Amino acid sequence: MIYSYHEEKRQRRRVMMLTALSLVMLGSLAVTLFGMQVRQRDHYEGSLSRQSIRRVRMPAQRGRIFDRNGRLIAHNRPSYELVLYLEELRRPGPWANTVREVMSVLDDLTVLMGEPALPDEDRVRAHIHQRLPLPLVAWRDLNPRQMARFAERRRDFAGVDIQPAPIRDYPLSPAACHVLGYVGRADPAQDDKETGRAFYLPEFEGKAGIEAQYDELLRGKAGGRLIRVDAAGYRWEDMSERPAVAGSDIQLTLDMLIQQLVEHELADVQGAAVVLDPRNGDVLAMASSPNYDHNRFVPVILTSDWEALRRDERSPMLNRAIAGRYPPASTVKPLVAIGALINGIMDAGTRIECTGSYNIGPGASIRCWRRQGHGMLVLQDALKHSCNPFFIDIAIRGGYGMLLHQAAAVGLGRRTGIDLPFESPGLLPDDTWKRRTQGDGWRTGDTANVAIGQGALLVTPLQMALMASALANGGRIWQPRLAMGIWDADTSSMNRLPPRLIHDIEWPPDMLRTIRYGLRDVVQARDGTAYRARVPGFSMAGKTGTAEVGPKHLDRKHGWMIAYAPFERPRYAVAMVVEDAESGGITVAPRIKRLMEHLLVGEGL
Amino acid sequence: MHALWMRLRLLARMNWMLNVSALLLLAFGFLFVYSASFLRDDTGQRVMLYQQQIRWALLGAVTYFGLALCDYRRFRSVTWWCYVAALVLLLMVLVSGVRIGGARRWLSLPGVAGMTFQPSELAKVAVVIAVAQFLGRAGPLGTGTLLAGVATITLPPVALIVLQPDIGTAAVMLPVVWGMAFAAGLPLRWVLAPAAAGLLLLAIIVGALVLPDRMSADPEVSDRIARMTGLREYQRERILVFVYPDRDPLNRGWSKRQSQIAIGSGGIAGKGFLEGTQNILGFLPRTVAPTDFIFSVIAEETGFRGAVTVLSLFSLMLYSIGRAALRARDKFGRLLCAGALLMLFAHIYINIGMTIGVMPVTGLPLPMISYGGSFMMGTMALLGLVQSVYIRRIRFPSAESRSILGDW
Repeated sequence: MIYSYHEEKRQRRRVMMLTALSLVMLGSLAVTLFGMQVRQRDHYEGSLSRQSIRRVRMPAQRGRIFDRNGRLIAHNRPSYELVLYLEELRRPGPWANTVREVMSVLDDLTVLMGEPALPDEDRVRAHIHQRLPLPLVAWRDLNPRQMARFAERRRDFAGVDIQPAPIRDYPLSPAACHVLGYVGRADPAQDDKETGRAFYLPEFEGKAGIEAQYDELLRGKAGGRLIRVDAAGYRWEDMSERPAVAGSDIQLTLDMLIQQLVEHELADVQGAAVVLDPRNGDVLAMASSPNYDHNRFVPVILTSDWEALRRDERSPMLNRAIAGRYPPASTVKPLVAIGALINGIMDAGTRIECTGSYNIGPGASIRCWRRQGHGMLVLQDALKHSCNPFFIDIAIRGGYGMLLHQAAAVGLGRRTGIDLPFESPGLLPDDTWKRRTQGDGWRTGDTANVAIGQGALLVTPLQMALMASALANGGRIWQPRLAMGIWDADTSSMNRLPPRLIHDIEWPPDMLRTIRYGLRDVVQARDGTAYRARVPGFSMAGKTGTAEVGPKHLDRKHGWMIAYAPFERPRYAVAMVVEDAESGGITVAPRIKRLMEHLLVGEGL
Repeated sequence: MHALWMRLRLLARMNWMLNVSALLLLAFGFLFVYSASFLRDDTGQRVMLYQQQIRWALLGAVTYFGLALCDYRRFRSVTWWCYVAALVLLLMVLVSGVRIGGARRWLSLPGVAGMTFQPSELAKVAVVIAVAQFLGRAGPLGTGTLLAGVATITLPPVALIVLQPDIGTAAVMLPVVWGMAFAAGLPLRWVLAPAAAGLLLLAIIVGALVLPDRMSADPEVSDRIARMTGLREYQRERILVFVYPDRDPLNRGWSKRQSQIAIGSGGIAGKGFLEGTQNILGFLPRTVAPTDFIFSVIAEETGFRGAVTVLSLFSLMLYSIGRAALRARDKFGRLLCAGALLMLFAHIYINIGMTIGVMPVTGLPLPMISYGGSFMMGTMALLGLVQSVYIRRIRFPSAESRSILGDW
C-alpha cells in the first residue's frame, strides 16, 4: 500500500481504541442493568405489585366571560364526578375481557348511584382504544347523597374514584345564548394521541359562539399528577405533579342590560336584532329569537334534548343575527339614494313623480305601496314615505353598477368578519351570479327589485346594523367585534383590544346630510313610516322595511327597521328584523321605540 | 457458471462470528416484536408486525450477502451517486413526505399502498460511505482539508434531517463522523476541540432552558431565551423532561418510568416469554413497545440473563467489525468498518441507555431488533459492506505487523 507505515499504525491503534471504548461502554450498560435487575429488583417489583400508580388529570379552569360592565356571564361551578381508571381494571387476555369487567363494575355502581351511567358499552370500548390512560367519567355532577353512598362502599370498588371537576355555568342563561355558544366533549386529533398531548387537552371544548371562537384562549391547559394508591383506592403518596393552567378571562362588548332589553322585545316573535356602537363597532347587543337554554348543554346535553333542539322547525340554535338571510326590503333605499346623489343622477331638489306604479318594460310594472301614488316628490320626502317608484327610477337611471358599488362599500354580500363562527355573507347578486344560477343575464327588472330590497339580495341583521352605523357616523365601517378585552395573567389586568376601522367610504358630507334628514323625518315626522318609533324628547333617524317572502298567496312578510340615535351624536345603531310581521312600521317600530326609550332615557339625557 | 461459483466461494471467507451474532439478534427481534404486539388481538391490525419484520429481514439478508460478494473497492465509483441520491430523497421528504405526528420523515413507496420508508436511515449509510471514501483517499491529507471535507459531506444531509424535524437521527451522525475522523488519524487536539465545542453547545442549550427558570426570571423572558435555542417546543420539552423527570409525569415521564419498572422487575431470570406484565398489560406505551422500547420488553421477559445475552451479542458484533477494520486491505475499507462500528454502537448505546434511564428519550431504534424496515435495510447494508471488506482482508499479516498488533 502507498500510505506510510506510521500512518497505518496510528490508524490501527485508533480503531482498536474505538472498538475497546465501545465494548467498555456496553459493559457499563450491563453494570447498570445488573444494578436494576439484580440488586434493586425488589424496589421495582414493589412498584409493580402496587401498579397502582395512577395518572390523575387535573382539569384547567375554563376562562370566565364578562360583559362590558364587568357582569359575569359565564363561569365554572365546582362539581364532582365518578371516574373509572381503566388501567387498573385491566383483565388478562383480549380487551373484550376488560370491557366486560368495566361494564359489570358500571352495573354495580348504577345501583348505588340510582341512575344509569353516562357511557354505554361502545363508548367504554372506544375509550379503551383511544384514551386508555385518561379516566373514564361515568357520572357527572354528583349530588351529596350519591357521594355519601359511594364513600361508604369505596373499598369494594378498586380503580373507581371521585374527582372534582369544574363545569360551565351561565348565570344569566338563556340571555345571549347565541353569542356565548356552549361547550361539548372534545375530540383530540389523531396527532395529539400519537404525541401524548391528549393528556393535557381539555375534556371539553367550545362548540359554538364565543366559546368556540376563543376556545384556544379560554381552555387553559390541564395538569396531571401521579399518585400511588393501594388496592382499595386510598392515596399513599403524591409522586409528581404538573399544575393546571387556567384559561384566560374574556370581556365582551355586550352590555347585558341592553342585551336583555333587546331579547325582551323579541321574546314573542321570531327574528333578530343587533345594537352597535357606531363610534367603534362594539356590539352592544346581539339577539336571536327563539333561543335555547345553554345551561342544558352542561355538563353534557341529553341526546333527547339535543335531537329536540335540532329538529325544532323554528331552528332555535341558529343565530339569526349573523346567519339569518333576509331580503332587506326598503331599508336598502338610503344606499340607492346616496349612489344616485354621488353619480349626479339627481340632487336634493330634483322632483320625481310617483303615479302609484312604475313601468319597467312592456307589460311589467311594480306598484308603490300607496296605490294612489305620492305625486311629485323630492328625495327627503321619498325616504320619509318610502316611495318605491322614486327609488326604482333613480336606480334604473343610475344603473345596477352604482347600486352594487354602494352595497359593496357598506359590506353587503361579504362576511363582516365579526369574531363569531358560522357567519353568513348574505347574497349580493350580480350578472355573473345570475348567469351561473339561472342561466339568464341581468335585466332592468332585477335592478328595480334590488332597489326596493326585494329580488335576490339577502342580508344579515348584523350587516344592516353596520350599514345603519355607517349612516350614523359619516361612512366609517368599523370592524364589528365582541371581544374587547382579554385577561393577561402576567400583568393581572384586562388587555384592551383597540377597535379597528376597516375603511372609510368618504360619502360627501352634504349628500349624506340630505339622506340623514330624510331618515330623521321617517321617525320624527307625523307622516313618516316609523312614527311609532318616536321617543318624545329625543331625535332619532331610521328606516323601515317590509319584505314579501315566499309565494304570493301566503302573504308572508318580514318587518325590518334600522335606526340610530341620538340623531346629532349617534351612540346606538340598531337593526331589527321580525319574521311574519304585519309591516316594519307597525310591528318593528314600536319595539325599537321601547328599546330606544330605555337606552336614551335610562342614560338620563 | 464457473465465475458464479468462484464468487459464491468467497462466502466461505466471511466473518462467521458476525454472521452468527447478526442472526441471533434478528431472532431476538422477531420473538420480541411478536411479544410486544401480542395483545393487539381485538384491533387485529398489528398482530402481524413480526411477520412484516421477518420479510424485511429477508430483504435485508439479500442486501447483506449481495454487498458482501461485491468488491467494496468497486463502490468508490458510485459513492457520490449514492450520496446525491440520498440528498435528493431527503429533499423529497421535505416536499412531499408523509406527515405523522407533526414531522415529515417518511416517503410513501410507489406501488405499495400504505408502505412508507424513511430516507434518513439510508442517508446515514450514504454519509458513512462518503466520509470513508473521502478520508480513505491515498496519500496524506492536511488537517484543514480533512475537516473542511468532512464538514461539507456531513452538514447538508444533517441539515435536511433537522428540518424534518428529526433531531435524534441528525444528532447521531455527528459523533459517528467525528469518530471516523479520529480513526483516520486526525491530530488529537482537533479531535478533542469539536467534542469540547459540542459539549459546550449542549451545556449552553440546557442552561438556556433551565437557568432562567432557576433564577426565577420573568416567565416571558425565560420563554424568549428558550426560543433563542432554535428548538421546537416538543424538543425543548424532551430536554427538560430529562432534567426534571417530574415535568411530564403522565406522558413521556410515564414511558421512562414504566420502562424502568419493566426492566427492574424482570429480575435475573425474567418473567417468561409473553408473560411480561408491563408489556402485555400495556403499561409500556403500545405505540413504542415494538420499536423504541423493545429492549424493555426483552429485559422484562428474559431478565438480566437475556439482557446480558443481547449485550454480549452486540459486543461480539462490534468486536467482529473492529476486527474487520484492523485487517482491512486499505484505508477505505478500514474507515468503512470504523463507520459501521460507530454507527451501530451509537444506536445501541443511546437506545438501551434511554430504556434504562441514563439517556434522554430520543426515538433512535435498536439495530437488528427494533421493528422497522428502513433502518433494518440500512443496518444490513452496513454489515454487508463490513463483510465485503473482511472477505478481501489481508490474509497473512506480515510478521512485522503481527509483532506490533498481535494476530486479530
